[in-house]
Amino acid sequence: MNWTEYVIKRVAFTIVTIFVAISLNFLLFRVLPGTAVTNLARIPDASIQLKRHLRAEFGLNQSLGRQYWDYLKQLAHGNLGNSFANQQPVSKNLRLALENTIPVVTIATILSLIVGIATGVYSAWRRGSIGDQISTNAAIVLYALPTQWIALVLLIAFSKYLPTAGASNPFAVTPPPFWQHLDDIAAHMVLPALTLVLTLYGGNTLIVRSALLETLGEDYMLTARAKGIGRGRMMWSHALRNAMLPIVTLVTLSLGSIVAGAILMEVVFSWPGIGSALYQAVVQRDYPMLQGGFLLFTVSVVLFNLLADLLYFKLDPRISQ
Amino acid sequence: MTDVAVAPTETVPVQGSGPKRALKSFTSLLRQRPSAAVGLGILLFFIVLSVIAPWIAPHSTQNPSGPVYAGPSAKHWFGTDDGGVDVLSLVLVGGRVSLIVGAAATAVAMGVGGVIGVLSGYFGGWIDMLLMRITDYFLVVPDLVLMIVVATLWGPSLSHVILVIGLLLWTSTARIVRAEVKSVRERVYVRRARTIGAGHTTTIFRHVLPQVAPLLIANTVLSVAIAIFDETSLDFLGLGDPNGTSWGIILEHANERTAVSYGAWWTVVPPGICIAAVIVGCYLLGQALEDALNPRLRISHFAFRSWRLRPLVGLGKDAT
Amino acid sequence: MSAPTGGDHLLEVEGLEVFFDLPNGELHAVQGVDLALDAGERLAIVGESGSGKTTTILALMGLLPPSASLRGTVRLGGRDLLSRGERGTDEWRWRDIATVFQGAMNALNPVRTVGWQICEPMRVHDTDTGTAARERTRELLSLVGLPAAIEHSYPHQLSGGMRQRAAIAMALACEPKVLLADEPTTALDVVVQASILDLLRRLSDELDLALILVTHDLAAAASTCGRLAVMYAGRIVESGPVSSIAERQEHPYTRQLFTAIPDLYDRRSVRAIPGAPPRLDHEVLGCAFAPRCDVRFGRCDHERPVLLRVGASWEAACHLAGPGAPAAAGLPGSADDAAARAEVPVQPVSSGDPALELDGIAVRFPRRRSLGKLLRGRPREIVRAVDGVSLGLVPGEMVALVGESGSGKTTTAHAIVGNVSTSAGTVVVSGHELSRMDRKARRRLRHSVQLVYQDPYESLDPRMRVRAILDEPLRVNRIGSGRKERQRLAAEALSKVGMDPPELFLGRFPHELSGGQRQRVAIAAALVMNPAILVADEPVSMLDVSVRAEVLEVLDTLRRTQSVSIVMITHDLSTAAHYADRIAVMYLGRIVEQGRAADVVAAPRHPYTRALVDAVPVVRGGDRRPTVISGEIPDAAAIPPGCRFAPRCPLAVPECRDVDPPLLPVAEGHSAACVLLQVAGTVAT
Repeated sequence: MNWTEYVIKRVAFTIVTIFVAISLNFLLFRVLPGTAVTNLARIPDASIQLKRHLRAEFGLNQSLGRQYWDYLKQLAHGNLGNSFANQQPVSKNLRLALENTIPVVTIATILSLIVGIATGVYSAWRRGSIGDQISTNAAIVLYALPTQWIALVLLIAFSKYLPTAGASNPFAVTPPPFWQHLDDIAAHMVLPALTLVLTLYGGNTLIVRSALLETLGEDYMLTARAKGIGRGRMMWSHALRNAMLPIVTLVTLSLGSIVAGAILMEVVFSWPGIGSALYQAVVQRDYPMLQGGFLLFTVSVVLFNLLADLLYFKLDPRISQ
Repeated sequence: MTDVAVAPTETVPVQGSGPKRALKSFTSLLRQRPSAAVGLGILLFFIVLSVIAPWIAPHSTQNPSGPVYAGPSAKHWFGTDDGGVDVLSLVLVGGRVSLIVGAAATAVAMGVGGVIGVLSGYFGGWIDMLLMRITDYFLVVPDLVLMIVVATLWGPSLSHVILVIGLLLWTSTARIVRAEVKSVRERVYVRRARTIGAGHTTTIFRHVLPQVAPLLIANTVLSVAIAIFDETSLDFLGLGDPNGTSWGIILEHANERTAVSYGAWWTVVPPGICIAAVIVGCYLLGQALEDALNPRLRISHFAFRSWRLRPLVGLGKDAT
Repeated sequence: MSAPTGGDHLLEVEGLEVFFDLPNGELHAVQGVDLALDAGERLAIVGESGSGKTTTILALMGLLPPSASLRGTVRLGGRDLLSRGERGTDEWRWRDIATVFQGAMNALNPVRTVGWQICEPMRVHDTDTGTAARERTRELLSLVGLPAAIEHSYPHQLSGGMRQRAAIAMALACEPKVLLADEPTTALDVVVQASILDLLRRLSDELDLALILVTHDLAAAASTCGRLAVMYAGRIVESGPVSSIAERQEHPYTRQLFTAIPDLYDRRSVRAIPGAPPRLDHEVLGCAFAPRCDVRFGRCDHERPVLLRVGASWEAACHLAGPGAPAAAGLPGSADDAAARAEVPVQPVSSGDPALELDGIAVRFPRRRSLGKLLRGRPREIVRAVDGVSLGLVPGEMVALVGESGSGKTTTAHAIVGNVSTSAGTVVVSGHELSRMDRKARRRLRHSVQLVYQDPYESLDPRMRVRAILDEPLRVNRIGSGRKERQRLAAEALSKVGMDPPELFLGRFPHELSGGQRQRVAIAAALVMNPAILVADEPVSMLDVSVRAEVLEVLDTLRRTQSVSIVMITHDLSTAAHYADRIAVMYLGRIVEQGRAADVVAAPRHPYTRALVDAVPVVRGGDRRPTVISGEIPDAAAIPPGCRFAPRCPLAVPECRDVDPPLLPVAEGHSAACVLLQVAGTVAT
């Protein structure tokens, strides 16, 4: 199938998935036991009138279908409701949080990819050697260590030298000059980013290594070797180029790990990003925020998946026909 | 036909059949791949430890037995937590919960995923399409987020945690089982069985399942690792069993109760290492099983060490 | 090596030995090989699985894996090639010696264009760069008969034959002096195979290129090369000029190999070589071939024979060969052997009620539309895999259904057995028309037609013992009054396929049997249902050459003694000619010619059959040039109008596009479907 067809199919799938996510979001919060209404009992001193009022405000006295339709309408306007905790629009809260999350997660992901690919290639190249064993076992161990543990250990170890919480110095009275501010943020970012890199790179190493080993056993590698083009070229032009395909697939599947890692890291470091926001929403039973956060996370990952699919198409000539 | 150095017409006979043969191949696997043995060893160690935990735990896990946040000492090997409770005892007893949750969630996932995977892979058609759509969705949604939402709405409890983790785990099992069943179904001997008149039940139980079972077992082991990982994360976010203790909950308490400010690394390090050890054990064993079941004897053409040249002894055509 | 005597040769291999370090011991895969080759010379290394021929080639190029160790020397133009380690080897690889491997899927990098892959070695070895490289690439493509546009294609877009040609073009990129071709034509259709071998011959002549062809196909080797080296158990047992060896074989293995392979025109009986090649993980005392040799005597068991001169540039390693050898009186030597191998009598056409009748069978299925086509409202393409086949079989008759891939022969086989439903036409088994019967009766009748699959390594469940494999069809269909009865039937079936005593085999697993034995078990599993008709789908194509006759003999015996009718699907005309009573040649879903085996092969009437017959490599074929058929077999969804072979037919005339010729008789029991027959009554040769 050609490019257009493929794009249409993938985009259609993405749209359907997002729609399902939206609907699931709706259902979960209305239908599961322990939802807003029944949990209103958890709000201490909720009087009957308050409950009735809240019911009406959330439209919970209407039919499910009607609620669904209202929900969709609101969503179309970008209205995700208001947070229980700070009465601000959920969308605004999420946007602010996102601004904090994106820099650190992006940097950490890119670094972990680079380190992961480098160590994976090295391990495959020197398969069976001591270096390979060390590298692979280190990757396995780091992959197995919980993110929050790595974060806590780093915190305890470096609490004397680096800031331990937040994204910037909370005690500054007046906004500091730009470079100082940047320096401050950077200092705050070191440990969180390091945590994420350590959590993520191990998985990448293992993925790259196994994809490469698989590729290296193929027949065309024998042909490449017979051509006398040298090991470096073999690895780069032939092995890696073919291994990119399973690597892209597997890295895509690990998007979930990036999300999970980000959430746990932000909780430990009190980094004011969407992970923290989600956590706060859980703690405070802030359902609108929880709903909004879920939607945001899901849609982001779905979109990234779409990008990865399109990239895969470009890389594999066998499906572009 | 490939020119294999060993003549394919001669083969190595293996005695026994069924479970005996499986056991024999398993033990030879352990011998050939040390990583599998290491993994198995770690798992057995922790399982045994968990079983005897209540009897070997030196102190109570509910009541304080020492000062708050005391460091490791002879009396408390792992020190004490913010309530003066012995950390070693907590770790020992907590291990039970972590392992049980891991095993139970995996059992749920295997059961549901296995059955659906087999039905979907074998029968194809609309069942398959439906399954694929559902699992596609689950694959794309970030796991932890969905688990958080469901656990929050449902309320924290041990059974909820198990079910929530199982809910997400079954999809990847189902996909793997489906893929394998589909490929086995196309094998000539299975098609032949159908041609000579074997019914669906016979075919599935006699031909398909025996081929799929080993892979399922490998996948189970790997899933336990993921289940424990997930459980730890949920605990950390306060969604675990509020009254119980597990490795993940120990970590949560450490975070909540400012172990960091006290520099109380002993409340953090041991549980994390235990979690990692069990996960590494599962990973090593599971990977080894999976590799062993994919017997594509590929000699890597990318020889990083050259073939060795032996000196020519004697001259002439038939140097022996 | 002494073969072409005197002087230095272009390529000299001396005392080559290869050891593999495996977990369960050391494998002595190549045990002392000497070779010599001059420019423009063509040498074929012939052997079966485990003979070490591929390992030899890999060793020559320094392509062995790290678990291997090497002994001996390889010299090209006097230069020692293998003593310089991997990097040193890289310098001369592809430049001086290049390889072409077994094509298949993966010998070419799937994510790079063909042009890129051809240019790559040029760039790396600095023979050409930039535009000069592109120029040369186009030259090379044209040299191997590929259109220049291929340079932008990816390997998966090319057919098997085209991929192989591309691989050859790539091999010639740096103008090597020696080309090593390892089974370059396995898995290719016979016509394509002939064209590739022809190409290699031509290139060797035109470019003064030395060629080493490694193959298991003796006839292909003999028709392409001037010299032959036969390998067994890691050693060369005979080597010399093809012309000499084709006349008389000095080594028993060579002789028995020639005897084991059916020749297209040679009617003498074919005999498999009993036993199996030895495992190479322990030293063998005496001659490695002795256990299977038909002329072994005392000395063979404890003294290893060495290569001795037996003629001009001719050597053999046998105690009975060469001057000073004990008299071979009474032992089967080629002279006596010719008399001993009786001609296979032509089975008289049996009469009686037909066991199987196919009348106008068609199998058509729609193809899935792509999204683009769906949206544009294009109708579904219909694939006409089988498009009107009529065939009859009487009890005890063997008909060979011959064709290349895409001919529809396998689909026909599955239609006969009932795996695939027919879109038109009738199948009549033992006088009962299948479509007229109800499900139960049809099922019972289906048991009368059994299928033997191609792949003996895949058609038996690896987890079941032979006993269980044979029991299953009986149990599932409730044949036999109980377990004991079923066991008895199973043992009987094993005897019928020559596996005596049956008890020896019942308890074994498939991996404990040889390929030939596995296939016989598969036949027994079919026989256990007491079928009237056996359909064998390429029953021997995955077996070693020396073993094929073992299985074919079984089929032959069955039809002679049990009156089982056999439909044998094959692409190998020699096998068909030798064993079958009648041959039906299929092309694109139709039978284009059918008749008595000997007639069809000796005097083919259809141009396609003619091309197939010409393409089959024959040992004593001399300088046959295959008929060139251009193009590829068309898509079964887009069958050309008129005669379906017309677009590729060298004899086509305009009428061929208008008329779809039916099968017309050209002689007794021999018919062909060609427009020219209608016109002139005979096909011009």
